[in-house]
This record gives sequence, C-alpha cells and structure tokens, in this order.
Amino acid sequence: MNEKILDEIPYIVTPRKDTGLTNSKIGIWLFLASEVMLFGGLFSGYIFLRVYADYPWPERVLPIVPGLLNTFILILSSVTVVFAWAMLKLRKWNMFLLFMGTTIACAAIFMAFKVVEYKAKFSHQGVRLEDYTILEGHVHKGAVDSQGHIYHLDDNGNPAKHHADENHSKSEKGGAEGKMVYQKTSIDQIVFDTKDISFDLKMFNDGYVNDLLTQAESLRAQITFDKDIKYTTSPDSLPIVVAKAGEPVTLKALKEAKALWKKTIANNGAVRTEELRRQWRVAKHDNPDAPNWQNAQNIKMDMDAIRPNLVASKSVVTAKVEPHVAFLLDPKTTNASAKSAKRKDSTLMSGNLIDSSMELGIDGVDFTFLVQRAEEKGIDPESAIEKSWILKNNPQVRAYWEKHKEYIAELDKKLLDDADGDIIKAEKAHHLERYKMTWKEMVRYGSEGETDLQWFNGFAGPNHKKEEWAKHFPDVSLPREQIAFESKFTPRWNNYYAIYFTITGLHGLHIIGGAIVLGYYMFCPNMFRKNPDWLANRVEVAGLFWHFVDLVWIFLFPILYLM
Amino acid sequence: MAGDSPAEIKKALKFYGLIGAILFIGTITTVAVAVVPWMDVGARGFSTGDLILGLLIASVKASLVMYIFMHLNHEKKLIYLFYGMAGFFALCLFFITRMAFEDPIHYSGFGHGEPVIEEKVEKH
Amino acid sequence: MSATTTDHGHDDHHHNPNFIQKYIFSTDHKTIGIQYGIVSLLFIALAFYLMMVMRWSIAYPHEPLPEWMSWVFSEEWRGRWLQDGKVTGETYNMFGAMHGTIMVFLGVVPLGFAAFGNYVMPLQIGAPDMAFPKLNMMSFWLYFVGGAIMVGSFFLESGAAKSGWTNYPPLAQIADAKFVNQWFTGQTQWLLGMVFLISSSLLGSVNFIVTLVNLRAPGMTWFRMPFFCWAMLVVAFLLLLAFPPLEVAAIMQLVDRFTGSSFFMPTGLYTSASGALDVAGGGSPLLYQHLFWFLGHPEVYVLLLPAIACVAEIIPVNTRKPLWGYRSMVWGVMVLGFLSFIVWAHHMYLTGMGPMVSSFFQVTTVLISVPSVILLTSMIISLWGGSIRFNQPMMWAAAFLPMFGIGGLTGLPLAFNLADIHLHDTYYVIGHFHYVVAPGILFGLFAGIYHWYPKATGRHMSNILGHLHFWPSLVFINLVFFPMLIQGMAGFHRRWYNGGDAYLEKSVDGTNVFGQTVAEFIDLNVLMSTSVWCLAAAQVPFIINFFTSFFIGKKVENDNPYDATTLEWNTPTPPGHGNFVTEPEVYRGPYEYSRPDYNEDYYPQWVAPKVEITEEEVVTVKSERTAH
Repeated sequence: MNEKILDEIPYIVTPRKDTGLTNSKIGIWLFLASEVMLFGGLFSGYIFLRVYADYPWPERVLPIVPGLLNTFILILSSVTVVFAWAMLKLRKWNMFLLFMGTTIACAAIFMAFKVVEYKAKFSHQGVRLEDYTILEGHVHKGAVDSQGHIYHLDDNGNPAKHHADENHSKSEKGGAEGKMVYQKTSIDQIVFDTKDISFDLKMFNDGYVNDLLTQAESLRAQITFDKDIKYTTSPDSLPIVVAKAGEPVTLKALKEAKALWKKTIANNGAVRTEELRRQWRVAKHDNPDAPNWQNAQNIKMDMDAIRPNLVASKSVVTAKVEPHVAFLLDPKTTNASAKSAKRKDSTLMSGNLIDSSMELGIDGVDFTFLVQRAEEKGIDPESAIEKSWILKNNPQVRAYWEKHKEYIAELDKKLLDDADGDIIKAEKAHHLERYKMTWKEMVRYGSEGETDLQWFNGFAGPNHKKEEWAKHFPDVSLPREQIAFESKFTPRWNNYYAIYFTITGLHGLHIIGGAIVLGYYMFCPNMFRKNPDWLANRVEVAGLFWHFVDLVWIFLFPILYLM
Repeated sequence: MAGDSPAEIKKALKFYGLIGAILFIGTITTVAVAVVPWMDVGARGFSTGDLILGLLIASVKASLVMYIFMHLNHEKKLIYLFYGMAGFFALCLFFITRMAFEDPIHYSGFGHGEPVIEEKVEKH
Repeated sequence: MSATTTDHGHDDHHHNPNFIQKYIFSTDHKTIGIQYGIVSLLFIALAFYLMMVMRWSIAYPHEPLPEWMSWVFSEEWRGRWLQDGKVTGETYNMFGAMHGTIMVFLGVVPLGFAAFGNYVMPLQIGAPDMAFPKLNMMSFWLYFVGGAIMVGSFFLESGAAKSGWTNYPPLAQIADAKFVNQWFTGQTQWLLGMVFLISSSLLGSVNFIVTLVNLRAPGMTWFRMPFFCWAMLVVAFLLLLAFPPLEVAAIMQLVDRFTGSSFFMPTGLYTSASGALDVAGGGSPLLYQHLFWFLGHPEVYVLLLPAIACVAEIIPVNTRKPLWGYRSMVWGVMVLGFLSFIVWAHHMYLTGMGPMVSSFFQVTTVLISVPSVILLTSMIISLWGGSIRFNQPMMWAAAFLPMFGIGGLTGLPLAFNLADIHLHDTYYVIGHFHYVVAPGILFGLFAGIYHWYPKATGRHMSNILGHLHFWPSLVFINLVFFPMLIQGMAGFHRRWYNGGDAYLEKSVDGTNVFGQTVAEFIDLNVLMSTSVWCLAAAQVPFIINFFTSFFIGKKVENDNPYDATTLEWNTPTPPGHGNFVTEPEVYRGPYEYSRPDYNEDYYPQWVAPKVEITEEEVVTVKSERTAH
C-alpha cells in the first residue's frame, strides 16, 4: 500500500489530510443526502395527499403490534451493526460474525413480518357502496357452473347448493348433479352467459384470450370462428386463409390474422399516400404561389382511381360459443351491461349478464365517508346512516349498529362524567369511533361480550378462516349495482394504502440491499487478515447506510401506524 | 470514529447499548401516547398534540441514531455541510405540502380544520 | 476468494486491459467521457430528426411526410403512425414528448455534465481518475440502458410516451391505460427509463463531488480550481439533491400505472373514452407537477452550467487574459445553484396557485437572474481589451454569449406571473428556452468539442469545415427560433400539431379575430421549417469533421497547443491511463495570462516558480522596468 503509483486512486483507506475523510466516507454521506431527498419527497407527498384528501383519511387502521415489533428489531439491528464494526476494530473476527449475523437475521425477520402484513392486506376486501358506506371483509369462495349459478363450497371444498339459486337448479339440472361442470372462484366476478365473441385484432391480449379458451374448455364449450378468416395483403396477391368458419379459435390463428391485417393496413396506407402526394404535386403545379393552407382546401383524393389498389382490412374477428356458457370476468377489467361485456383488451362478448353479486363476510363497517358527504349536503349524519343500504338490507349489521350506538352513548356519558358534567369541557367520542365499527367491536357485539380478544389475536388483521370468533362476521350479498368501487387493500383502495405500500416497499428494498452488502462482508475473512482497517471502513460505510434505513423507519412507524 | 484504541472502543460499546435502550423506551412511549387513553395528549383520538409529541420523540430518536450510531459527533465539518444542505433542501421540498392548501379546487375536508384560502382572499 | 478479488479490486487496471475492458466496459474516466459524448451526440441527432418530422407537420399539415424523412419508417410503421402519409396528432405528440425527453435527459445533460465533466474535470484538478472508477462505468451503463429503454419504446404496440416531456398526469396516466400489459407501453417505459437515468446521474454526481473534494492535486486549493470544476461541483449537487424528488414522482406514477392507485388522480375524473374512471380518486395532479419541477428547474441549470463552464475556459485561453471576476463567478454560480431550488413553481403560474405563492416564486425567479447576469457579464467583460484569437472554439464561444443573452432576457417576461398568463404554453416559451438550450448551450458545448478535441485525439479539427459548420448554424438557428417569439406573442399554442391551421380564419372580413392573427403569422411556419432543414444540412460538415479529423486532422505540435494554463494541458496527448506522467503540483490560480512579471504571456498552474520571489522583489523588478 505504501508504494506510490501514479494511476492509483488515493485515500481509499487513509483519510486525506486537509479534508480528514476517505473517499468512501464522503461518497456514502452524499448518497445519504440524496436519500434524504428521496424519502423527503415521499414524506412530503404523504403530507400533501393527507392534507389534500377529500375523503376521510384512514387513521390508525394498521395493526400496531407487527409495526412495533419491527421497530424493535430494526433498533436491535442498528445496535448490533455498530457492535460488529467495533469488533472489527478490536480484531475479533468471530464476534464480528456473531453480531453481523444477528443484524442479517434481524433484517430477515423484519422482511418476514412485512410479508405477513402485506399478505393480510392483499386478501382483505374493501367495498365502497353507492351511498358511500364502506364495507370491509373477505370475499367468499364458491363455484359457478356453466349456467351461471353460484354455489357455496361445503366443508370438503365441493359446491353446495346456493340458497338463492335453489329454484333454478331444480328445474334446469334435474338429476344431473353428478355431471355438473363448474369453475371454482371467489364470488366477486362478473358472470356473463356468452353467445358470441368478437376479438379486436389491434388490441387483443394473449393472456385474456387464453383465459377465455381455458374457461370454455373447463365448461365443455368450444369457441369457433363463425366466418372464414382470410386476408388479401395486396391487390394482385391471392387471399390467405387463416381459419375456416367453424374451426376453433386459437391464439396462433389470431396472431396470424393480426400480422396479415397489419399488412393490409400498410398496403392501403401506401396507396393512399401515393395518391395524396400526386394530388399535391398537381396542386402545387397549378397554384405555385398559393400558401400551403389554401392549396389544402383543393386537395381531394380520387377514390375511384385508387379503389382497385385497396384491399379489405377488417380488424374485428367474430366467433361463436357453443353451447353458450357462463364465463367469469374480472369486474376491474370488464365493462358489462345487460347484453354485452367489453373486456379491457376490446374483446366484445354478447349474451346475457347473470346476477353477479359479491358475497362478503363483513368485518368492518365505516360510515365516515357517508357522514362527510351528508355534511357537505347539509343532511343530518345520523339519519343518513339510518337510510344506508346496508342497514336497511342486513338485519345482523343493523343489530350490531344498534349496539354500537349504545356503546358510543355510554362512552359519551363516561367522558361527560370524567369532566364532572361540564359539557363545555367534556370531550365527545371521536368521529372515527362514532361512525365506524371495527372487527374487534363486531366480535364483541356478536358474542355479547363473551369472546375476549387477546392482543395477539388478528396479528395482522381479522382472520376469517380458523378463528372461533370469525362466525360473528355477518354475511352479505352485494348486488353489483350497489358497488361504487371495490378493491383489495392494495394501493388501489385509497391513497393512504398507496403511500403506505410505496414507502414501506421502498424501505423494504433498502433493507434487502443493505442486508446483502452487510452479509457479503461476513465472507471476507481474507480481507480481515490482510487489511482489517479497510474492511472496518467498508463495514462502517455500509453501517451508515443501515442506520439511515433504521432512521427512516423511526419516522415511518409513527406516521403510518399511529397517526 | 470514537477513538481507535481498544479501551476507548470497549467504553463506547456500553454507550451504544445504552443508546439502544433509550431508543427502545422511546418507541414504547410513542405507542403508549397513541393507544393508552390516559397518556393521550390533546383532543380525544388523533390530534395535533399527538402529532407534535409523536414526531418530537421520533426526531429525538433519529438524532440519537445520527449523532451516536452514525458517529456524527466525531464527523468533519464537510459532512455537516452536506447534511445541512440536504436538510435545507428537504425543507424546501416540504414547502410543497403548503401548496395543498393553496390549490383553489382543494376541498377542506372532514377533520382537517384548515381554513379555506379563497375566503381570506375575497375579504380584501 | 472473494476477499482477494476485492483486495486487489482497485489496482486491477495495472494489468493490460483487453479490447472490451479498454473501450466498452472501461473504468477510465476519459474513455467513459468519450462514450458519453458519442452516445449523447447520437441521441441529439435522433431527437433532431423527431423534431424535423414535427416541423413538417406544423408547416405542411395536409401534405404527406416526404420520402427523405419517412424512409426511416418501416412499411408497417407508416400504416400505424401516419395517416395517408400525414403525421397524425398522436404521432406528433409522441415525437414531441420524446424530442424533449431525449434532448434533455439523454442528449444535453450527458453531453455537458457527463461527457465534458468526466473527460476534463479530473484532468483539470490533477486527479489520476474519478474517485470510484467502477461506479463511473456503472453510471454510464445505467444511462445507456435507460436510453435504450426510452428508444426501444418506439417499437412497442403503444408507441413511445406521448404526454409531453413533463409527463403530466392525469393525461399521462390515461394515455396507454387501455393496454392490458402495462409493462410494454410507452408511458411505463418512459418512467422506467427515467428511473434508470436518475440512478445513473445520482451515482455520477456522488462520484464527481468525491473526486472534487478528495482527489485535487497538491496545491490545488479551492480557489485555484478552474471555473469549469466549480460549475461541475454545483451541477453535481443539483443532480444529487434535485433528482430524487423526480424519482419519487416517477415511482409514484409507476405505482399508479401498475396497481391502479390514485396518487395523481383526482376524484370524479371522467373521460369520453371510458366514462367515469374506475379509480379511488382523491389524489392530486399538482403533486406531480411540484415534484417534477422541483427537479425541473435545477435541471435547467444542469443543462446550462456545463456550457457556461466550457465557454469560461475557452475565453481566457483565446483572449490571453485572466477570466474577469473569477471569484464573483464562483460565488455567483453557487448562489445560482442555491436559488434554483426555490423557483420551481414559476412553471406552474397557471395551475391556480394562490397569489401569495405566486408572488413568492416571482420574487425568487427575478432574483435568480442576478447571478446569471453576473456570469454572462463577467464573460463579456473578459473579452474587453483582449487580443482575441478567433479559432473555432472561440467563434462558438463568442456566439454563445449573445445567443444565451437573448435566451435569458426573453425569460424575464415569463418570470412575472401577470405576463405569463398571456405567454404560458405559447411558442414564446418554446422560443425562449430553445434560445437558451440550442444556440446557447449547444453552441457552448460545440465550442467545448472543438476546444478539447486536440487533447483527446492529438489532432486538430479542420478549420474550413468548422466555418462551414458555424456560419450556417448561426444564421439558421436564429431563423428557427426568433420567429417563435413573434408567433408566441401572437398567441400560437405550443402543442398545435398542425401549426395553427385549424384556427385559421380564411376570409378577410370574418369576425374571428384570433383566426386573423393566426393568418398573419402562420406563414412563418414555412420559414422556420425550411430553416430547420438547412440547419440539419449545416451539421453535415461537423459530422464529417468529427470523424475524419481523427485520422487526417493536423497533428498537434505539443501537449499544450493553445498555450493554456490549466492542468489538462500538462498531460500527454492523448492522456494515458493515470493521466499524468509526473505527479502534478499546482502553484497558482487557473487563469494566469499576460502576467506582467512573467516573460511569457501564460503562466501554467503546474510550472514551479524558478525562485521564491517575495512581494518586495516584485515591486523592485517593476520599478526597475519602469526606470529603463
């Protein structure tokens, strides 16, 4: 290290005298400065969105325990990483391994908790009804047969008869229960009895087409072209037949048709361009001094002259479904009306829309948005809640709500008592308590106070599967026209979740990156032997990054979990 | 770097442990302020009081991490300059949030008691 | 094993590198600088082509694109992107958005900051290389990948991004939303490309600052650094601190695209194509604009400062005079960098910000013109009384000064929110910032290319071809941009793909007054577009010059052909690995020309004083001289 070579970068291990810093130290601090701006941008975005929100911002909706544990874990890892660095300074390799290993383990546990939290949200359904009631819950699993009848699943996972559909199936199915063909699904799809399908060659998507083909296959139906698919790519060539009428639709045939269709477009474009050019030459020759816009008025393509050179170019391919069966279509990517459904890839399906309600086990009722809208219009919030669709149509939710009102009245009274009856001093129940039933409250109301939830129950949110208390969640069948907006608790649900996932996701990526770099140093015993100071410098620099990641979390935790 | 001699480093280790403990306690306090009713400051539920207290504790924790764990207490002026610049420009960035109020199509919503700006303007 | 490789990681360049290590995955700052330079020039050429297509559409909206421009398109493309051979509105938007994006993020910034900065800055401070050579290589390749993603998006079904170079939501988010596979849409690829480019410039800027702080040669104190290095320092800080907010905006828009979230989607948005949008709503398009322009304005100085820096190096060399007001320029550039962070909202006067905010940004915007004027004035005064050598670099540098002056002064009306209400989004804005960027910045960078070409290659560029490049460029570039200012004041909107044809009032006594105004100025379109073709032709001599001079140009006589004083002229020509033959030491400031106490008219930074001369001795020497 001591010999002076001219093309060697100096100040890698020893600090430069006048600045007192090594290169990597300056580098990492600069990098952290830009990270400050990155997370600063995200935080200011968070505040902006929260201040700007024209809907009730979800406050304290995340389960606190996982976040709290993660905070502890990160603080611990911050301590161990600085210990690991100190052990290198003390030249204790094994102790370094121990502390660094702990740090990496902490990172792994942190990410594991994140996965648990994310997973709970990705399976949790939120629905905003047309009257701005917000329902939370889990979509029931079920099965839909080829006629579009919905079945619940029994304990063995087989379709059990749906209560609402009993009449239908008796008349149509008769004794053929054993041969029933069905698709298992979550009951939130659009069920569409389809007779004809027309594919848009410009837009069709491989995945969507495959989805339709597999659905048809599992329902024992076939999608076939109802006309010959043929294209003539230029006026003097023979037509190319992609598929004859009656042949089954395949992705390959559609792709071939698309390629040919593009050629017809190209041919027609070239012919028309040539004609337009010719017209402009004539116009400029006749009228050389006229400005461009004046000449443009006299330009007309001689369609009769070019028609023989044009070829037919149809971008829509039609097909039949035989026998007609009920397809399941994702409501987020389908625009359905009574007689037709248009998927996002412009595939148009015609037939009949079958009742496509969503079956939800409710574990949260939130009227705060409804109340906000009512107040904007000058309507009394309490009466608006009374008129809401869910209270009118679901007796169980209604019963819970009555109990909730009692609870709030008690709370108000208690708060008044705490203030020694001084109405002015007394606080009222917070509007988020008043107009919102959480899953814990619903369990309490449903079990008449019998079920006592522990702090670890519902670690990452309400669970519908095994828990004994899940039976208290009311079931509801939501007609599709009542649903204004629905989403899992993903970034799509609202901007709070969007910013939550964005910031914590980016933070998680930082954790992974930092852990990889720190973990790498555990595999550098040779460097420790040869140049321990250099390794210590590297660990210090990576440690600075790690502390910064911890520092970001220190702000993230209160902002996302507690506020 | 807190001195390079083994003795000094050993002494520093205890200090790091202490700081870690303080961070733990700070975290528990933050949560307690948020969820334990009698520790709730300000109005019932989440309010400005909780906001200020929560961010204050977080800032103290963050400063401890920066100052002790990240050795900012032994760092050169240049590093402070970099960090100061980042801090200042991040503050400029937070000025963006002010704009949320300045936007005339902004609806001053439920529970956010900021006055609507247009009214102020009309008075003059 | 891995430890051994890291141990020797820093000195693996002692081994003889093979071709790929030397020219493709090079860690040498000079090679990387040249890579940046060539790739960014290619991108500029591409963006220039896009603009020619747009200018055709503006001047001749009803005529098919002529063959000499449309041959680039494949037959299928013509079917998709041209309608009867004419440029469609969609194609125009796509080309417009990509022209801006490529010029700014892939062309001028990499050319000015990354290419010149990489090549010249370490030489000027006497460093053996950048502080982190591998990181340097990585930033080039990240830039390359980002650029490839951007250009690759032209070949997608959806075409490239088409919502302006600023990519404003909600327009940008609705665009291409109809495609099922969101990965392969132009809008998404634009955002991905941006994330790559931003990461690239972050790494680059960290590298630049560390190099400037820690690798200065002995004796190279802060105020002995050439102005070029100061400008690079400020630019690096701008990139470091202003780019992350744009990264945030890009990430948020990506999240919006992929997950259907509503960061930038307001409540109740309705489009004619899809009715009420199926999104949660509650977001704010203005948030994007703030985050974008928080970068966007510093970005203007990221574009500008390298060009000013090149000119500031060329002027003292060719006037044989010190740079006038070196210190005030240094302070000026720092104040400029600082202020550039708090002026961003002047791009948003028309978004309906309250008067308080508008006034604040109006004040800071007017303030920022002070340091800009200091820089420009100092350079103009530097010319005063010099015996100017009008070689190629100096001609370009001299032309830069008035051109940038026009660009800067036409910006003043835009700084005032009242005047901006009229001028916003008109061709006046286009004319203004193109005067800054094209005849301003690009002329400055051309000056730089001509200036350092002999150092990089060992050969001079041809003077005749240089004149053939310079004079037509100067004339035609003004004929392109000056009419824009006139059209803009007449109210021509910047996004008309048919150049105002749709608004034209054809009859003389019609009641459509605006249509008559349009009729009065619409013929300027033809003049501008014709000038653009001529301008394109004027670049041919440069291309020939650039490539042929490498082989047949006049060889440089010595390592310091211009008799310059800064350290890059102390290296061998072209500089080898490690740059300097002997370790450089710096004894004085960067612009010691025509010193009365020195017998040559330049006193290089690296020349050791023969004897220690005390101040008294200088005085006596002077008095002796006057006595004789």
